[in-house]
Amino acid sequence: MNTPLDEHDSNLRYAEYVLGVLDADARAAVEREIQSSASAAKAVAIWAERLSPLSEEMAVQEPAAYVWARIRDMLKLESPASGRVPSGRPRLWENLRFWHWWGLGASALAAVCLVLLLIPARHAAVRPRPTTAYMASTIVQNDGHVGWTATMDLQRARIIVVPVAPQTLANGRSPELWLIPAGHKPIAVGVIDGNTPTTIALSNTLIAQLGPTAALAVSVEPLGGSPTGQPTGPVIAKGTIGAAPESVEAGKSVSLRQTSSAARTEV
Amino acid sequence: MRLLVLHPARRHAFGHGRLLLSNKVPKKGSVRERQARRRGATVIKSADEREHIMRWLILAAQGDQQAFAELYRATSPMLFGICVRMIRDRSEAEDVLQETYTTIWRRASSFDPAQGSALTWLTTLARNKAIDRLRQHRDSQLNDAIDLEQVIDEQPGPANGAQSTEEYRRLQACLELLEPKQRRSVREAFFTGATYNELALRCNVPLGTMKSWIRRSLLQLRTCLDS
Repeated sequence: MNTPLDEHDSNLRYAEYVLGVLDADARAAVEREIQSSASAAKAVAIWAERLSPLSEEMAVQEPAAYVWARIRDMLKLESPASGRVPSGRPRLWENLRFWHWWGLGASALAAVCLVLLLIPARHAAVRPRPTTAYMASTIVQNDGHVGWTATMDLQRARIIVVPVAPQTLANGRSPELWLIPAGHKPIAVGVIDGNTPTTIALSNTLIAQLGPTAALAVSVEPLGGSPTGQPTGPVIAKGTIGAAPESVEAGKSVSLRQTSSAARTEV
Repeated sequence: MRLLVLHPARRHAFGHGRLLLSNKVPKKGSVRERQARRRGATVIKSADEREHIMRWLILAAQGDQQAFAELYRATSPMLFGICVRMIRDRSEAEDVLQETYTTIWRRASSFDPAQGSALTWLTTLARNKAIDRLRQHRDSQLNDAIDLEQVIDEQPGPANGAQSTEEYRRLQACLELLEPKQRRSVREAFFTGATYNELALRCNVPLGTMKSWIRRSLLQLRTCLDS
């Protein structure tokens, strides 16, 4: 049984949690409480009901259509082409389809580039293993245009980054690619190029972090890359990592997408 | 059918406890709502519309993709507004919005109408995702100077000139009763997701002062709102 003082204090912590003033550790502690205690969950819900009307002050903003396409892909929902389109927004639908095909186009381009890049390697390899796995990412710039596509060849431990339409950087700056595992600091992958495809070897550490919860990002760095090991310039493009559309050599599709059971571990 | 049991105190939010589980399409709305829509506002104010949002959320929990798509259409501008406001980077806000909706789809079944409204559940989830992202950012970029230029909304009022809800007006009236500095801190905290430390730095007061401002405000708000 809580004393009135305890109750008072913990109730305040729930309020602080809802308001958002707690640091990461204190937030995590409250979240654990919510998971384990119905009364904590209820107290937090009541505070959310009290404070959330303030959200009405935040100006509404229409998200770009590709966000819905990404969500749908991520959750493996049926394509709207086979089902009913969300009603009331024909413009959204048109954009959605546009983005959908654009996304596919960019992935196809990455696959084509991969084939081209792999041609010398295929001569060397006796016979590619059928388990060859690839992952792909479309790295989208802040303006919504695709900057690069990246294909990760897990078997050969390398990533091939192909510029699609990256923005021009100032002289003396180069784009650097980062891998950002969910909840962790960015890990440098390497400096990439705005004009020609770049192939970079992937360390085992990097490969271990590849997956649907990790993201790729491109930041603007001094020539040769960030001197600190962490991004020092603005992030100009980002992309999520998914399965490559098709395993190029084996010719059959490899699904590395997040399964819903894995995703359910998320809090 | 557990989900359909409404707490008596929450019934007002859903139109006298009526729950529509029919396939009725939301009405186009009143003239005022249509005008607000033209101004760019997404009107999720009427009891009717809230009811639809709850219905879609409950159907989404049962795996109804169509309902989930409708839910996204109706609520994403509001949730994206929250993400953009808090994250202040459109591309990153898109990531957070994506995380928010993938979580909504997977966790829709944990929504319990007895604990609060669907709209609160959704906006809270978006805010939590945004705050988590902010914490992640700051942990990895501790050297970043805190942006003192971040301006809080000095003109309270519903966004886009939309009509405010009764809950909003009530909260606003209670906020008005706080000391100006305390009110400002609470609003700054809510809209930017800043920690106590960051708020203290931004407002140039000792950490202890900021904590006591916020805590006192929260207690006062609770007393005022519950009265």
